[in-house]
Amino acid sequence: MEYLLLNTLNGLSWGMLLFLISVGLTTVFGVLGVLNFAHGSLFMLGAYLCMQAMQYFDSFWLGLLVGPLCAVVVGVLMEKFLLKQVYGRDVSFQLLLTFAVLLILDDGVRMIWGSGYHVVDPPVLLSGVMSVAGQDYPVYRLFLILVGPLIGALLWSFFHFTRWGKTIRAASFDNIMAEGVGINVPLIYTAVFALGTWLAALGGALAAPQQSLVPSMGEKIIIESFIVVVVGGLGSFPGAFAGALLLGLLESFGTEFAGRMQMAIPYLLLAVILLVRPHGLFKKGV
Amino acid sequence: MGKRFLFIIVTISVVFLSGIWAHAASTAKIGFTYIMSGPFSAYGQFAKQGAEMAIAEINAAGGINGMKVEGFFEDSTGKADVALRAIRKLVYQDKVDMLIGLDSSGVAKTVVPAIEKMKTPLIITHAATPDVTGSVCNKYTFRISLNLAQNVKAAALLAKETGAKKWTTVGPDYAFGHQSWEYFEKYLKELNPEATFLPKNKVAFPPFKTTDFSSYITKVMSSKPDGVFISLWGGNLIDFVRQASDMGFFNGDFQVLMSLGGAIEVLTALGDKMPEGLWVGSRYWFQANDSAINKKFVASYLKKYGAYPSYNAHGAYSAVYAYKAAAEKAKSLDKEGIAKALEGLKIEIPTGLVEIRKGDHQAITDAHWGKTSAAAGFSHRILKPIKIFKGADITPSIAETGCSM
Repeated sequence: MEYLLLNTLNGLSWGMLLFLISVGLTTVFGVLGVLNFAHGSLFMLGAYLCMQAMQYFDSFWLGLLVGPLCAVVVGVLMEKFLLKQVYGRDVSFQLLLTFAVLLILDDGVRMIWGSGYHVVDPPVLLSGVMSVAGQDYPVYRLFLILVGPLIGALLWSFFHFTRWGKTIRAASFDNIMAEGVGINVPLIYTAVFALGTWLAALGGALAAPQQSLVPSMGEKIIIESFIVVVVGGLGSFPGAFAGALLLGLLESFGTEFAGRMQMAIPYLLLAVILLVRPHGLFKKGV
Repeated sequence: MGKRFLFIIVTISVVFLSGIWAHAASTAKIGFTYIMSGPFSAYGQFAKQGAEMAIAEINAAGGINGMKVEGFFEDSTGKADVALRAIRKLVYQDKVDMLIGLDSSGVAKTVVPAIEKMKTPLIITHAATPDVTGSVCNKYTFRISLNLAQNVKAAALLAKETGAKKWTTVGPDYAFGHQSWEYFEKYLKELNPEATFLPKNKVAFPPFKTTDFSSYITKVMSSKPDGVFISLWGGNLIDFVRQASDMGFFNGDFQVLMSLGGAIEVLTALGDKMPEGLWVGSRYWFQANDSAINKKFVASYLKKYGAYPSYNAHGAYSAVYAYKAAAEKAKSLDKEGIAKALEGLKIEIPTGLVEIRKGDHQAITDAHWGKTSAAAGFSHRILKPIKIFKGADITPSIAETGCSM
């Protein structure tokens, strides 16, 4: 019984982190039509910049605020000077370009912060353990479980209730018509990419007190995020949420029950979904 | 006009040829292959630092057999096929006299059989699988560092002392993790027939790319063992220790042994988050040896790079010196001569006196274990007390290694 609870919590906390990364990836794809391979590197950048800001301000919360915002600057430059060139072109151009950005960012991080491991402390408020139904569980992990849905709800409300959100959705449905009715589509694209970058970087900053910082740390998470996004349906918001939860839980319970097969679970899930529902669990639409 | 033209040709030829001739005659070329990119690039970085320090020292002291040493560095990226390509480039294109390197057991098992065809001696400094100086050994392959069997034998000796009976493991899900557990089981069973080991489906082998270990931690804790043998290393170990501490893994419900927890890069990254009082091993520990050569190595490294040397820096540093000793013994850089000279070579390196055994080319070297302790003047844990297991006591016999050359 206690394993059931612990594994559920393990799966939820990992799944929520995965959700933050995937939702950025899926939003960028939904609006810009770009599959951003460098998304994991932006996650890494968020973690490193959070660490840097933490050292500067001596506060995790300020690091969490400032780090991802600095990453957004990189994201905006990337969109303005690089991604712009490949909009509407064959997907192979996008993959090559974003893969190049991934390599540059990975090496850039190595040059600035070195190739060694870095460790970031969780804030005092969130360290230690808390009792959940009689089981001690790390407070920071519970915090992650809460933060995921919170960010998700905020994003959802933004897209559905604000003018900006509605404009972005309009631009993603038909950018030519949107342009025709006077919407500044290039600006929208930049803003959406900035949002996607912010989500990836925020995920990195939130992961920092959990996992060591090391160049190329985005490699693992980008693969799982791609799986989440495909499982949930490319461009689908609730899809990313459901996909991330599903993958997180499957992985944590898989460790207990699947033995060495655990490693294959994400790919099996992907294969099953592609066979049964090739468009993912949820239909396309931001 | 004709004379002048001839003069230019002759001058150019002389300059050019003497340049080539001088180059060929005055350098000993060593090719290094390590992980230089990706999440484990720190290991390549350390090795490069150790190697460059040794090369600089040797060159300042007159070189090898009067020749300057030159290092060529290639990135294995941790992948076997890339490593093999890098080594081929070093041998056939850069025409190196000697090879040093290899971080991963998986890489080593692919490269070692190919070395025989390239007829170039290789000293392995990190990859720890017993197979490369065992079932797949050959006349050109040597290892200067502590191997998995030696380190795990020491772990088993300690495990016996703890008195814990029911053992489980957490190790990376590839050759290294699985072999570590197999050897631990084999050795501890011999030492303590009462010891029991959890079956494969109850132990934890997280994939190499795991960053969230929570479900593995829950799995191991819920199996209620008396002792846990951990063979995770690098970033995997750092992530595991932090997450496991949060989840109460180190609350003293069971004994914990970490075969590579004494690696300086792990201890420095974890700082005071490494729990105290755990037995940890390492392939080199900077305080384990009082010799002059070790003190000099640690002091120069600290001065040059601002950090204590890691086992990988030590391995690469020592391998360069082993090459020097072999070249002096052979009185040439001839590859066959070097391979012969490395056999049975006895050399003092910072970790102590080692002998590269003739029968399997494995260095007979001591294993260092210690208990993690806080100490004044260090921002990270150090090993205290230190326990030294003599190379002769922990190295399997040649018959056991399965090596036949």
